[in-house]
Amino acid sequence: MQGFRLHFVMLLRLSWRNLWRNHRRTYIMLGAISVGVWAMIFMTALMRGMVDDMLNQGIHNLPGHIQIQHPAFLDDPSVVNSIAEPEGELLAALNQPGVKRWATRIKVPAVIASERESRGINLLGVEAEAEADITGLPAQVSEGRFLESNQDQGVVIGAKLAQRLETRLGKRVVVMSQDPDNNISERGFRVVGIYRAEMPGLEEYNVYAARDTLQKLLRIEGRVSQIVIVDQDYRDIESLYRRIEKVTPSTLEIKPWYEIDNYLAAMFNMMDGFVLVWVIIIFLALSFGLVNTLVMAVFERVREIGLIQALGMRPRLIVYQILLESLLLLLIGLAIGNGLAIITVKPLESGLDISMVAEGMAMMGASSMLYPNLTLHDMLLANSVVIILGILTSILPAWRAAHLDPVRALNST
Amino acid sequence: MAIRRANMKGKPFCLAVLLLGLAGLSPALAASDTATPDPRDLIRAAMEHWRGITSYSEMTMVIHRSDWERSFSMQAWTEGDKLSLVRVTEPKRDAGNGTLVKDQSMWTFSPKINRILKVPSSMMNQSWMGSDFSNKDISKSTDIIDQYDHRLLKAVREDDHFLYTIESIPHEEAAVVWGKEIVVIRDDYVMLRQEFWDQDDILVKVMQATELAQMDGRIIASRMRMQKIETPGEWTEMAVDAIDFDIDIAPSLFTLSNLRNPRQ
Repeated sequence: MQGFRLHFVMLLRLSWRNLWRNHRRTYIMLGAISVGVWAMIFMTALMRGMVDDMLNQGIHNLPGHIQIQHPAFLDDPSVVNSIAEPEGELLAALNQPGVKRWATRIKVPAVIASERESRGINLLGVEAEAEADITGLPAQVSEGRFLESNQDQGVVIGAKLAQRLETRLGKRVVVMSQDPDNNISERGFRVVGIYRAEMPGLEEYNVYAARDTLQKLLRIEGRVSQIVIVDQDYRDIESLYRRIEKVTPSTLEIKPWYEIDNYLAAMFNMMDGFVLVWVIIIFLALSFGLVNTLVMAVFERVREIGLIQALGMRPRLIVYQILLESLLLLLIGLAIGNGLAIITVKPLESGLDISMVAEGMAMMGASSMLYPNLTLHDMLLANSVVIILGILTSILPAWRAAHLDPVRALNST
Repeated sequence: MAIRRANMKGKPFCLAVLLLGLAGLSPALAASDTATPDPRDLIRAAMEHWRGITSYSEMTMVIHRSDWERSFSMQAWTEGDKLSLVRVTEPKRDAGNGTLVKDQSMWTFSPKINRILKVPSSMMNQSWMGSDFSNKDISKSTDIIDQYDHRLLKAVREDDHFLYTIESIPHEEAAVVWGKEIVVIRDDYVMLRQEFWDQDDILVKVMQATELAQMDGRIIASRMRMQKIETPGEWTEMAVDAIDFDIDIAPSLFTLSNLRNPRQ
């Protein structure tokens, strides 16, 4: 033990000094590693931010992390496929701590008409207060106000829809739909608010009214289309899902967000793999420089290595020495790279306006503001990839150095 | 059934609904010369006269556009303000197309596809047979009485009649897109003119009785024109060629099977 410690300290000192013998080369290599690591972490943070944003918006549009509905509702979202408002065990489970927010909502196809136009819409009967946590819509209301209570008599429509209908804030529109018996149900609503959605398609399609008002209009008192549950974090809903699934009556269907929208789920799952591939690609570019540096370092020191071998140093220790030199180089590079990444990402976390280069991003479901998301997990991944693969690529020059023939090495010029 | 041909003038609005609003009855009006009538009662009276009344009429509908025009001949049966059946007889290629209105529900039948379709709420705002009338215009009936606040704007004496101009403003929750409607009713309850104003006080469309005629003992608006103000070259005109009131109608007339297979 004592011997190993002694060896290690000696090797460390040797490696450290060797590193700075040709300090210009070392600085260049450090620069390469730092920039590489910075790019890994910075770009990953940007991508994470973009994907998080898409997922958040996607989940807001679903909406919610977990939905309970009539088994036929997802295929046929008609007023017939409604469910009773939650009660008993289910209600108790929903009110437990851990559920960030839950709400019932009505969702039916409908037609909205102004004096001049009529259009097909998706009519949503929502609980006014819960909506901020569930879809974040109230924040998007650009004119007027959002619904104020579950009995509110107004509707909130999108700016695009208002334009199509040639109507505006404060005017009345007529909403028509059908009750469960296929009779026409309709009434006038005053437009109390106009919202602007990140995705223009939604603006034209989603119309918000108060839940109780719609129950009366559609003649489905006490019934709703969906129960929407929001957990603390969409990434981790398993335990809550299982708890609520247990108390959900078997006549209802309960689904987590990743089963409702496979595209979102695929995006979520793909992201980790994507980050790994990105990190490895950058590393590959980096590794050529690293190997070259080490090979040069060994090549310059052939005589020296031959000498210390002749003096009795074991080949294994030479391998260790070269690897240690590589490790020191990597660690310094990583430290600088991580530092750079943190310094550049942190100021951007309040949002980066990419609307100039990102027209059409909305179609992908991303907004024009990018919020980079620096996660510990991604930083650890980048660092461990660089260290592990860095050491692995250093083995070859180290091994070659260790296997020099001392006699020939000493005689080489 | 016997049909008395009208001398000339005449045509009602579209179906029972329109007939309802537009045709008046001569009696019951004596009192109105003296006192100012309540506007709501006026409209109610114009409509109530139809309650329980049956009619059979032959009508012509002309749809006029800037570059084309087409006309349909049709037969219509009505009973009260809730039931009506219209069937196209001419031109040949549209013959047999029918519309049945029962309360607020509406069905159409097309012999070409041999199907009865219930007109869903989503199509209520669409045009009825390509005309300037919407399905809603056709199927709506007495809503105007209860879903609006009525105000008498003026009463003008013209020849032997008083003309009452009534402004009707829909209630907040009424399923009506208009900001207001202005109705001109003659003291014999013939509705002469109905204007549809948007919520910015711009006139959007007008239904105007262009001819009145005495037919089968009653004065009715025998020719009506529906015109959208924004497209002056486009209008739809309904003319009543002949009408019979108080006829016997078999209970089976206003049924889906009769819509598909005419038996009368």
